Amino acid sequence: MLLRQLLISLLLWVPLASIPVSAQAFDLDDLQRQLAATPSVAGRFEQQRELADLDSSLKSQGTFIFERGKRVVWQLETPVEERIELTPQAITDGSGEAAPPGGEQVAQLFLQLLEGNWQALESRFTLELSGDRDAWQVALTPKEAALRERIAEITLRGDRTIDNLDMRTPDGDRLEVRLFDQHPLNGS
Amino acid sequence: MKPERIMKCDRFIKTLSYRRLGWLWLVALAFCAVWLGWMLRQGLPADTDLTALLPADRQAPLIEKADRELGRGFENRFLLLLGDDDRVATTQALGRSLQQLVDDGQLAGIDWRELDLADADPHEWMGPWRYRLLTPQWQQAIDTDGGSTLVDPALRQLFSPTARPNPVADPFGLLDAWLSRLPQSPVGAADGLLTLDRSHQPGNQKWSVLIGELDGSPYDLPMQSALHTTLEQFQQQHPDAELLRSGLVFHAAAGARQAKHEMSTIGAASLLGVLLIIGFVFRSPRVLLQLMVPLLAGSLFALTLTLGIFGRLHLLTLAFGASLIGIAIDYVLHLQCDRAIEGRGFRLRRLLPSLTLGLISSVIAYVAQALTPMPGLRQMAAFAAFGLIGAWLTVVLWLPRFTLHASPFTARLATGWWRLCQPRWRLSPWLALVGAVVLVIVCALRLTSDDSLELLNPSPAALMKNEARVQQLLDRDTGSRYFLVQAEDTQALLARLDTLDGALDQAIGEGLKIDYQSLAGSVPTAVEQQANLARVRKLYGTPLDELIQRAGLSAEVAAKARARLEQSTPLTLAEWLETPLGSLQQRLWLGETANGGVAATVVISGARDARVDKALQALGESLTTPKASIEYVDRVSRIGELLGELRRHTAMWVALAMVLMTLALVARYRRRAWRVIVPPFGATLIVLTAFAVTGVPLNIFNQLGLLLVLGIGLDAGIFNVEHARRPSAWLAITLSTLTSLLAFGMLAFSATPALHYLGLTCLIGLASVWALVPWVRPADAYPTHSSPRQFSRESEHG
Repeated sequence: MLLRQLLISLLLWVPLASIPVSAQAFDLDDLQRQLAATPSVAGRFEQQRELADLDSSLKSQGTFIFERGKRVVWQLETPVEERIELTPQAITDGSGEAAPPGGEQVAQLFLQLLEGNWQALESRFTLELSGDRDAWQVALTPKEAALRERIAEITLRGDRTIDNLDMRTPDGDRLEVRLFDQHPLNGS
Repeated sequence: MKPERIMKCDRFIKTLSYRRLGWLWLVALAFCAVWLGWMLRQGLPADTDLTALLPADRQAPLIEKADRELGRGFENRFLLLLGDDDRVATTQALGRSLQQLVDDGQLAGIDWRELDLADADPHEWMGPWRYRLLTPQWQQAIDTDGGSTLVDPALRQLFSPTARPNPVADPFGLLDAWLSRLPQSPVGAADGLLTLDRSHQPGNQKWSVLIGELDGSPYDLPMQSALHTTLEQFQQQHPDAELLRSGLVFHAAAGARQAKHEMSTIGAASLLGVLLIIGFVFRSPRVLLQLMVPLLAGSLFALTLTLGIFGRLHLLTLAFGASLIGIAIDYVLHLQCDRAIEGRGFRLRRLLPSLTLGLISSVIAYVAQALTPMPGLRQMAAFAAFGLIGAWLTVVLWLPRFTLHASPFTARLATGWWRLCQPRWRLSPWLALVGAVVLVIVCALRLTSDDSLELLNPSPAALMKNEARVQQLLDRDTGSRYFLVQAEDTQALLARLDTLDGALDQAIGEGLKIDYQSLAGSVPTAVEQQANLARVRKLYGTPLDELIQRAGLSAEVAAKARARLEQSTPLTLAEWLETPLGSLQQRLWLGETANGGVAATVVISGARDARVDKALQALGESLTTPKASIEYVDRVSRIGELLGELRRHTAMWVALAMVLMTLALVARYRRRAWRVIVPPFGATLIVLTAFAVTGVPLNIFNQLGLLLVLGIGLDAGIFNVEHARRPSAWLAITLSTLTSLLAFGMLAFSATPALHYLGLTCLIGLASVWALVPWVRPADAYPTHSSPRQFSRESEHG
């Protein structure tokens, strides 16, 4: 990663120096196009949930498959085995049971975040992009008070793909999901 | 009314001075106007609700209350479903234009964005109650093996990326399991909009949901038209978008539009007809004005006194009462025809007995009606009786003082018309009797009745279809079928509701295709809540330790969780109804009853047919105990029954009024009485026979029409006998039936069922009255009033 960055910087050395604005011209649309270039990804995840009133945290890991616009399959391996499938319509778990009420909304948000669907997210969040195409970060803060009661801030980080999701709630809880070993899926 | 007494009366009037009486009546009317203005200072206290017309159902004030509670959402709110390929953009456009109505103060609010319905998270306010609320599956799981099978699902929930785990407050996710069992709104969020997703159904789509809240009454006309304009504009701009509407406001608006439309077609045509006829006969625009004065004075008098007595007025009373005052047009026409023809020879004295008898016989009919236990009929009868008295006083006291340019044409017309309508032979009383018996037999054999609710429903079919589609898409009940459950206190009630739910579940399991909503599903009894808490204590033993350990959490978490359990409080019904979820069920709760108990409803939705009704009825009866009653109520059939009762009561009192009238007439006319009776009663029988033969069912509205036919027919009968040889009387009878035909008979073309039936009755009835009169005209005049001069003159024409 670092090498590639160096290489690109070297190649673009002159233009970059002469037109420093171009680095900032990397906007959300560019990012969305960049993410859309890899429609389907598979990889591993590590999820850590820190709860404010607990000393210990809930850690889990497993694999995931992400098919853009269709679904996310979350395959939990430890500490318990579970397959969760999120689609824009519903969340279903291994036993095919429906999620608790309100779950669809969380699932939708999760899908929109993983897709980098800024248009949809912008209706509810203020988005702030920083960094460049190889190390970007998008910070999302809720617009409406009702949503601010549940979510303080969400940060997405990544390069060609989304590598890290960090969600904080006003009461001090934190959910951090790290996605790694990502590789494009065949046939996409 | 003996002739000598009339003479005495007449002399008394003379001594008091006829002029002074006229002024006195003017003062009385002025007083009425002031009083009415004072009573109307805050608008007309009018009822529009049909049930307000019906007797205060002494056995069932609770049913009325339940109906009100269940109907409230339909009255105060409206719901739009919008389907379109470009759903997001069109919904935003519609949402914004409706928001404009909110900003203009026409609507109280409009919800369409996803966040508009985001209630506070149930996890926040259900906190301390969750340990006492268990689903049957969880109860069973804990009872079987202490709940160890619940550990794995709990672990999955704790580690799901979309869950919001709380290992201290609820490590097992008790609350999520409980909430997922509650009835869920099919309306969710998608694309930032409130959405009803039916795209998994074949041929269906995603619908945007827009929920409007009214600021005031759904009958408010400016609001209706603003809403209508906004929606029409939207549909013009988005012709491809499918917009479904539901809510009383749309039906009310459709009714108002239809009334307006008919007013400008049927109403205008009949007004024009009346103007042409009166203008043709009297050749003077002043007669038209003089025609209106008694009707207006009568209406003012009636409105004031009825409001003064009853305090409120039903709009239907106003409509039908005002129609009945139309009988008063008889008095005007008889007086004016006589004046126009007699000119200076006109004497009020000669007409007074007939006019008085006409008034008295009509008023008797209404007084009989006013004695019924039906508040609606009482109001209507009082209104009509006061109106007739007021109009009569105006005719008698004022009209002769107005100048009238008698056109010689009127006299010529009367004579010519009189000649033209001489029957070849006259009806004999025996033939009339035979005819009546035949007609009665036909009626008895063939006449049917219909008291269905549809009669009262003026909504166009397209709107009803729209409404049904919305209800079906939303899986919503209309709140028209429910169990009314009563018990001595809340705990007993919850237990009864629970028993009923169990029985319903069983019936559904056995194939009854219904669904229900019950408070017992949300709030278990105190006893069950205690048992649930005991179960959760068991679950918080070894299974909790296992869960915490496998989740990789410290043992301290388990200790904290157990400490939380001890803070649990019971969930009461009152507390539940205050929560955001519980407030959706407030309509099911009726609270304390008059006899000190409490009551609630269980609303039924789904399949609807006689078999289901019977099954539910039987279910309610089988579960009723001496202390707690469970009654199945079908609102539609209940209102039908009430309408039927109203109809039967009217019929009974009309029959009684007919008997009283006959007695009064026999007292005056003796052997000639049958000639007076034939036009009104004969016309009534002809109408009923026509209905019987053509299969038009009898209902409350054509019966009200019969009252009008009776009144006009009776006046015609009286004048026909009293002034048998006078062309002016026959002209007046012709004019009065013709104008009434135009005013009321034309209503037969109305699309509103109630008006249609009223009009149809008048059409047949008034035509029959007119046709019957010549056949029963006595060959000689009634002896009392025919002066030799008249007699000789009339015999020339005869």
